[in-house]
Amino acid sequence: MWYTVYAIHYMSPSTSTDSQNDDRFENLRQELRRGSLPLAVLAALRTEHYGYTLRKTLADHGMAIDEGTLYPLLRRLETQGLLVSQWREEDKRNKRFYRLSPDGKLILKQLLIEWKSIHESLEDIF
Amino acid sequence: MALVDRYLHAVKFWLPRNQKDDIIAELSEDIRSQIEDQEAAIGHKLTDAEVEPILKRCGSPMAVAGRYLPQQSLIGPALFPIYSVIIRSLVLYFLLPWMLVWLGVTIFSPDFRADHPGAALFASLKPWWLACTYSLFFNTLIFAVLDRSQARLHLVNDWNPSALPAVRDRDVISRGSTIFQLTVVVATLATWIQLDAFRSVFHIFGTTLTLSSRWPVFFWALVVVSLAGIGLSCLTLSNPRWTRFTASFRLGIDCYSFALFYWLFRSNMLQSLSASGLSFADAANFVRSFNQWTASSAIWVLIIGALVAFFDVRRILRVGPTA
Repeated sequence: MWYTVYAIHYMSPSTSTDSQNDDRFENLRQELRRGSLPLAVLAALRTEHYGYTLRKTLADHGMAIDEGTLYPLLRRLETQGLLVSQWREEDKRNKRFYRLSPDGKLILKQLLIEWKSIHESLEDIF
Repeated sequence: MALVDRYLHAVKFWLPRNQKDDIIAELSEDIRSQIEDQEAAIGHKLTDAEVEPILKRCGSPMAVAGRYLPQQSLIGPALFPIYSVIIRSLVLYFLLPWMLVWLGVTIFSPDFRADHPGAALFASLKPWWLACTYSLFFNTLIFAVLDRSQARLHLVNDWNPSALPAVRDRDVISRGSTIFQLTVVVATLATWIQLDAFRSVFHIFGTTLTLSSRWPVFFWALVVVSLAGIGLSCLTLSNPRWTRFTASFRLGIDCYSFALFYWLFRSNMLQSLSASGLSFADAANFVRSFNQWTASSAIWVLIIGALVAFFDVRRILRVGPTA
């Protein structure tokens, strides 16, 4: 009888548990993606972009990123010397274009090797 | 677009001065591009109501600006655990007991209430408030300064694994302390019996003390609790770990002892006193003062007893039913 009660309790739809799971998954998912963002941004900036088109490019590749995260990240990468930027007029509006610096290209190459190694390790673990 | 300008102005307020214009120009460009894309999709200019969701999605001005600022904390993660332990200990072992004592005295002592009528009762808490404010302020200040200097002084990173304290099992009762307790209880009991402490009248150094008729009852009750203490010590000698049984036994003995002392303190313990060279009036005054003092001290017995019982109950909960 207890087994039946237990089974019914755990098999019945439980909104609070579901939402807790959703929250936990969402937090971990965001944490995972946040760690990959600099790599995605550096890789996308092998071609010159300004902020908005960079966001669209990343979103088209399934790496949607909001402006509040992207612009501070771009600024940080530029401060670290991995990006160079330039204000230019396009379509009658001033836009800041970003691209990889020589240091950025080197770091990107190293990061891609590291990322592949992580990916292989994870595949091994799975 | 007035709404966008207002939004950007609000963001700008929180930004670092030397980057304000640059960040705002870039953010403005992004928001206007989003608006243009949406206008192209729906075929008309966006109203303020339609712009609002775009701005809401960007985040509150303070949050957006915050992302451009370096992460700052008053006390960093390296020192925060120590800070947290000190503040918790301060609250648990100093400020909370003080507050409990104040509450106890306020509730149980009519004399204290009479001395502090109305608002003066709360004014008597002023030292407590000052202690709270100063201790929290100075602790925070010291840790904030340490946090800023620890990076230079390597306070946290300079450590030696072999200098770490040994792991202490809180449920182990040291045999040494049990033997010490046992010796003290047996010696006290033997001395009291030797002195024939069951009576109510004592002659010491030419002074005759007459104790309350409750004294022999108290004394026998004390003998019982001492014997129980000896029994508990024997048990812990054979198994030097707290179990739920021995911890509950300890709680029982402590509650019984403090209740006994509380009862004695409120019983006009000293009945009379006589000594050569001491007038009857002086002796009566001394007896009255002594009894008043013990009666007013009874509350402290109760407070200390409550604290001891609190820790005894914590021990019972800690050892758990399976121990």
